[in-house]
Amino acid sequence: MLFRRIIFAALLVGGLSGLLLSAVQRWQVIPIINAAEQFENARIPQAARAASEEAPAHSHGDHSHAAHEHEAGAWEPAEGVERIGFTVLANVLAAFGFALMMMAAMAMVVRQQALAPRRTAPRLDWRYGLLWGVAGYMVFFLAPSLGHPPEIPGSVAAPLGARQLWWMLAAGCTAAGLAVTVFGRSPWRWGGLALLALPHVIGVPESGMSPFVGFPADVAADMNRLARQFVWATALANAAFWLALGGLSGWAIQRFVAKSVV
Amino acid sequence: MQSQATIAGTTRATLLSKGIQLASALFLGIVVLYGSGFVQSSEVHNAAHDMRHAAGFPCH
Repeated sequence: MLFRRIIFAALLVGGLSGLLLSAVQRWQVIPIINAAEQFENARIPQAARAASEEAPAHSHGDHSHAAHEHEAGAWEPAEGVERIGFTVLANVLAAFGFALMMMAAMAMVVRQQALAPRRTAPRLDWRYGLLWGVAGYMVFFLAPSLGHPPEIPGSVAAPLGARQLWWMLAAGCTAAGLAVTVFGRSPWRWGGLALLALPHVIGVPESGMSPFVGFPADVAADMNRLARQFVWATALANAAFWLALGGLSGWAIQRFVAKSVV
Repeated sequence: MQSQATIAGTTRATLLSKGIQLASALFLGIVVLYGSGFVQSSEVHNAAHDMRHAAGFPCH
């Protein structure tokens, strides 16, 4: 059954690329998160409270308090092995979701090609998958990050719900724009490129405040530096992840799925 | 890539159901991603916290 084959292939691809991502992250992303959390406790409580009151409609209540936004009493993984374990699990789970989406989309293209052949059928292999990996990186990392760079813990930003919605808009528009441009058949397909710009024309929700309001000036400067490092570290880790996910997906779709697509 | 003969031998009903299977896989992928990256419940947020920051998902 086609559905089961894709699930199986996505488990394999998601598992492998999620583990790779965890390893790269552990080495250059997580240390920055930990450093930022150390700084987080240095926020001046009064200033932080004032800031959170000024902040327009914070969806997360008083999330800019010194002790991070974690609500009192809510479960959280213990420091050390437990926290690392949950991060690896979350990475693998997200990678599984990405792999499912990517391979389902790939299989749709393969099926379309089989039902209505065009001159240039792509050869399914890991190299073809790498192209999909680059597209995935653009859709799920680059496009959302252009408006809303990955942020370190402790920074103040616009309400969460609005930013999540904008993230989905950016990913959705970029995916649709790329798909129309690459797979469209009429000359109008180049209009798909306009979709790439749409979320950035609409604009990302802003908090109207400095991200490190409430911190002493020297700490804020340190956190600004961390925030810049974080953008580069995540850009690299996610690039490695998406290339692995794409390459593996191309291989797996050819190996396990292609035969049962039509 | 399958040959034309195989395609002709496949019934329309099977083709339709394969399309639905692919759409279901895509949808399941979106649900899994939403669950790990966007659900706002405290427990899920805390468990996935570092992944969300590292992936560039809006976290808090």
